[in-house]
Amino acid sequence: MSASASESGVGRTGRVLVTAAVVGALFLPVVLDRDGLPLSTYPMYSSARPAEVTLVTAYGLDEAGEQVTLSLGVIGRSDDPLVVAGELRSAVRADRADDRCEEIAGRAATAGSLDDSVVGIEIVSERYDVVDRVESSAAPLDRTVHATCPLDEGG
Amino acid sequence: MVTRTSERSANAERIRVIDAEAPPERLAALRIVVAGFVTAYLVIRAPVFLALRDRRESALDPIGVIHWLGAPWPDALVVALVVVVMLAGGAVTVGWRHRVSGPVFGVGLLLLTSYRSSWGQLLHFEHLMVLMVGVLAFAPASDAWSVDARRRESRDVPPPSRPATSYGWPIALCALIVVITYVITGIAKLRYGGVGWLDGDTLRNHIAYSAARLDVLGGTPAPFAELTVRSSWLLTPAAIATVVVELGAPIALLGGRWRTAWCLAAWLLHLGILATMLIGFPVPLFGVAFAPFFRLEIGAAWLRDRLGTVTSRWHRRVAAEP
Repeated sequence: MSASASESGVGRTGRVLVTAAVVGALFLPVVLDRDGLPLSTYPMYSSARPAEVTLVTAYGLDEAGEQVTLSLGVIGRSDDPLVVAGELRSAVRADRADDRCEEIAGRAATAGSLDDSVVGIEIVSERYDVVDRVESSAAPLDRTVHATCPLDEGG
Repeated sequence: MVTRTSERSANAERIRVIDAEAPPERLAALRIVVAGFVTAYLVIRAPVFLALRDRRESALDPIGVIHWLGAPWPDALVVALVVVVMLAGGAVTVGWRHRVSGPVFGVGLLLLTSYRSSWGQLLHFEHLMVLMVGVLAFAPASDAWSVDARRRESRDVPPPSRPATSYGWPIALCALIVVITYVITGIAKLRYGGVGWLDGDTLRNHIAYSAARLDVLGGTPAPFAELTVRSSWLLTPAAIATVVVELGAPIALLGGRWRTAWCLAAWLLHLGILATMLIGFPVPLFGVAFAPFFRLEIGAAWLRDRLGTVTSRWHRRVAAEP
């Protein structure tokens, strides 16, 4: 298969072996139940997800302690919600919420689009009935604050 | 008689992976489509890759071929890798020094996407890009429609004389990788979600979850999320259809109408995911994942003829002007 191989090309045995190796490698993560790159179990959206789900996010806080919605770019410096949510969840799971809060505060302090009333950031887990949330904008069932930090500290 | 002719035609289109044959132009067309797409993706997403320089060391969670990594790469290395992979991608797209640019692109893309995924979030649509580029990087994909081929022609060097399997097998391998990827995705749903994944409630909850997540992260939920969540009658058939399409991917290797029907069904599946969850899998959505199943050189030749006709008409019109 190599471009530098002789012009006779790869023999049939070689093609059989490489093809078998590729097929085996692709199914290996399935056997080991281990996700990775470039070999994967492709587990996205495969779990039996219940309607009640915990979402991790970050909010701005005004002087009165009221929440202000931030943007994807401020929370995670990406426009991809998978990346922003995944990295935030990983940070909370690894007990790095304080570090992450300061990072977000730093971005928020320089974000021109941010509401002027925002004086702090909080990282929270909120449990929702997501179906109710989509159908009727229902409030969270409960919430846990992982980290709070002032806006100017990181900026 | 008609049936026998159709059967013969279908058999001719069936992808026999090991002994698949193709003209060099088909592999070249696949090279242009895949490498061109991935290079464009890298250019558009360059800010995301370059932003990896600002990540904190404590957030590093290395995976894949760089799972051994103990500390973030130096900023200069990240910039150099992004630039080198983009340039190699451009070189592979036009078929310039493929023996070097191909492996550099393949290995570089693997390193770059592994590093991007080493901060807590895998993007599963990048897997197909890496795998397909990995095959094309080491295949003789620049024997036609390439700068390398032009240079050979200009020096009166005859084109390489390779068996047709040298070009057909890499294409078939890409097709097989796509098929297996979808099968594994279907297996995952039954393995992690169980048969319950098919009853529609799980699909409804995934759609609602994606919409709610976007909502709390300051994004805009998908345009059809709310409508789909409210349309409970639609969800069970949609869940069953999803798993059938994924597990049924091997029928694409039969060629002919089976292939076309599966590719269309898989594309519609991704369109549905985009419309209801605002999650875009660019490789299938732009048709790149389905490219190995088709005789791309026919479409490319048609396009070239059309462009040639338009160009000659334009030349005649310019020449006729006083």
